Amino acid sequence: MIDMRMCHAALLSLLPLVCSAAPKPADWVPVRWPWSDTQSLDLLNGTPVNCLLLTRATPEFVAAAAARGIATLAVNFDPAFPVDGMVVEGETASVNRDAQKLVIELLPRYKMKLGSPAPVIGTYQGVWPGIAADDGKTKHSGPTSSAWIDTNTGFLRAVRAFGTSTVWLANRPPEKTIVSTARYLQVIAEAAISGARWVIAFDDDLARRLAKREEAALGTWKRITALLAYFEQHPEWREMKENGTLAVVQDPSKGGLLSGGILDMIAVKHTPVRPIAGNRLSAEALAGATMAVNIEGDALTPEQKEVLRGFTRSGGMLLNGPPGWKDPTPPAGKITLDEAELDRLNDMWKDVNNLIGRRNMGVRLFNVSSTLSNYLGAPDGKSAIVHLVNYSDYPVESVTMHYLANYPRATLITPEGKPKPLEVYKTEDGWGVDIDRVVVCATIKLEQ
Amino acid sequence: MTRREWLALISATPGVSNLLNAAPDAPASPVAIAQCPTYDEDVTAKLSTMFDQLGGIDKLVRNKTVTIKLNMTGAPGNKLQGMALGRTHYTHPKVVGSVAYLLGKAGAKRIRFTESPWAWAGPLEDVMLDSGWNVRSLLAAAPGVEFENTNALCKRKQYARFKFPGTAYMYPEYVLNQAYEETDVFVSLAKLKQHADCGVTLSIKNCFGCVPASIYGDDAGIDEPNENPKQGRLAVVHQAKRQPSKIAPPELHPGTSNTAGVRVSRVVADLTVVRPIHLAIIDGVESMAGGEGPWIRGVRPVAPGVLIAGMNPVCTDAVSTAVMGFNPRAGKGEAPFYRNADNTLMLAEAHGVGTTDLKRIEVRGVPIEKALFRFVG
Repeated sequence: MIDMRMCHAALLSLLPLVCSAAPKPADWVPVRWPWSDTQSLDLLNGTPVNCLLLTRATPEFVAAAAARGIATLAVNFDPAFPVDGMVVEGETASVNRDAQKLVIELLPRYKMKLGSPAPVIGTYQGVWPGIAADDGKTKHSGPTSSAWIDTNTGFLRAVRAFGTSTVWLANRPPEKTIVSTARYLQVIAEAAISGARWVIAFDDDLARRLAKREEAALGTWKRITALLAYFEQHPEWREMKENGTLAVVQDPSKGGLLSGGILDMIAVKHTPVRPIAGNRLSAEALAGATMAVNIEGDALTPEQKEVLRGFTRSGGMLLNGPPGWKDPTPPAGKITLDEAELDRLNDMWKDVNNLIGRRNMGVRLFNVSSTLSNYLGAPDGKSAIVHLVNYSDYPVESVTMHYLANYPRATLITPEGKPKPLEVYKTEDGWGVDIDRVVVCATIKLEQ
Repeated sequence: MTRREWLALISATPGVSNLLNAAPDAPASPVAIAQCPTYDEDVTAKLSTMFDQLGGIDKLVRNKTVTIKLNMTGAPGNKLQGMALGRTHYTHPKVVGSVAYLLGKAGAKRIRFTESPWAWAGPLEDVMLDSGWNVRSLLAAAPGVEFENTNALCKRKQYARFKFPGTAYMYPEYVLNQAYEETDVFVSLAKLKQHADCGVTLSIKNCFGCVPASIYGDDAGIDEPNENPKQGRLAVVHQAKRQPSKIAPPELHPGTSNTAGVRVSRVVADLTVVRPIHLAIIDGVESMAGGEGPWIRGVRPVAPGVLIAGMNPVCTDAVSTAVMGFNPRAGKGEAPFYRNADNTLMLAEAHGVGTTDLKRIEVRGVPIEKALFRFVG
């Protein structure tokens, strides 16, 4: 006699394979899903979330997810029933690899397989982004100080400069912390403006309240998914490349993997920067750049050095790191620079800072001390975008943007409202637009 | 505040520790006060009424070059609780625009906004944009609007020398940007604030920002000015750690004091003499209490809801100090002159610039007791 339950389970187990309309891994919008009851999937109705990272699962749950076109990934376990793939997460985690199964690795930064052909590469290590807390010492101690923003953007851009994989940043909210809605939105936006995806992870409090369907928690979830939808509605943004006229040449397996390094320092100065992986350095990669910083001068091959010589011969300005200067290699478990490395980096930073000053390196932003930005260009050069993420608890008002390229049309795109044409005016060195208000994020689209 | 309290306030005598004597014949001049609860009010109309109450500004500014010293203290990235700078410690751009419009309407030939921004010798417009100000709107507010950074030579070829006519408190001569010399009318457009070192910062203290960091800054050159200053102005004037660049004479009494509240108060009192202020305007619509900027611990946003203006900076500051709930003739160590600060207003009064005696100052518009907003207590 056939066990009907087994039959049911067997049928269910085929569903992930049957649902061929499921999106490709590079298009997955991932969430760490703390629940395994099928009712929990109702939270996903009308959202762009289409990939769940599960630490436990049942065939019924997986089948129900598949029926909704949602991919399921087993995190650090190998279920006896089919899922869409597995996630190997951690320093030492491993699973029995089945050649038939997709495996996404969430590794320590220093172990990330940069340049890998995998559709998705990721890490569980990230700083929790936001304006650095006042420590009463150096960061906010006088009239000179501007806010420092803890950010993963430099790291994400460095990794993205190396390959074409979609990057997942799967760090979790700080422990024993109730994360405000704004902070969730900031972490999502900061990954998205860098062409990456933050793997949504709920803090314990939000997970508990969502499970109870508390109204405020549902409101937070609605805003989170609305922001995800905002970015997912613009897949073309992920195809765009950093467009600033300042290039930073760096071995991505070194300082680029650390947060708080040169790329972040430049970002906090609101200067658009184009990271170039050392092994991808070419005349094409430098096209349009007017300044270049070669972080570790001695690390380049003769051919790469010749590329930089060609750059300077054609009028580009080059700053080489001090002779013998070594870009720090991230040690295991570390993702930020320690005091000694920061001190060492400061020497180079002073040179970089003097080089760029407050020049317009493609885009120059004003009144953006609590924001980070990214200036990206379309491959055909006919359009560009400038993303802004606001890390403060208040909307930023009266932002001004000056840009160099000839884009006479500008549109403000925000998660809150319809696209709004901006008045474009001439400035001394190009064009300018004014943006009234940025809540969490905004995108200015520039077009010829 | 009851009338009894009010009379007590204006009758209060300076503390015994204050060695300065009021100048009984220091000029008195009317001061206008208007209530203005928010910047959404018609600030232009209110200022226009105040100027009328002062006798009008047409005669003062018609066909003249007017230089307006703004208050943009500290780096624009340094905000109190993320609030717009104009709502806490900068002059609000709406007040700036209104003043420009009214000066233009009164026939000013040129309206030059100046400031010596923190650690910056580039265009002042950049700092304004970084502060969230709409520079294009300001330019359109009146004909002949321009902006000058006075933190170094900047647009100028040479500095201007302002020799003190008599005995100065600190320096016998001040060397400033030429913008302050090539002007017919000088306006101090300040914020209604306390100051950690000097007690209050109003129209007189605002003019400390005329002093260029290129000469008086921490990284000023020893022999020559540093035309690209990247630091503030603590070492020379506040802390007496060094003398200014040799283009400017050293202080008259070196070694006397290294207390900022003594030194800076004296410098700004001197400046009111060498660079007289013709029109003092105080933006007290919104501000901060407890200090002059968000880098002072314990400051908090406040909304006094007032605008104050007068043709005499000492009288205007005296009335403003009273509006803040302080005795404008308070002595060293008394509120608001903590940290051993000397009373800048009385120092300026002793120079004969104007009186701090509220009984001699006619207040027009809203009386002080109605405009009173206590910054402490």
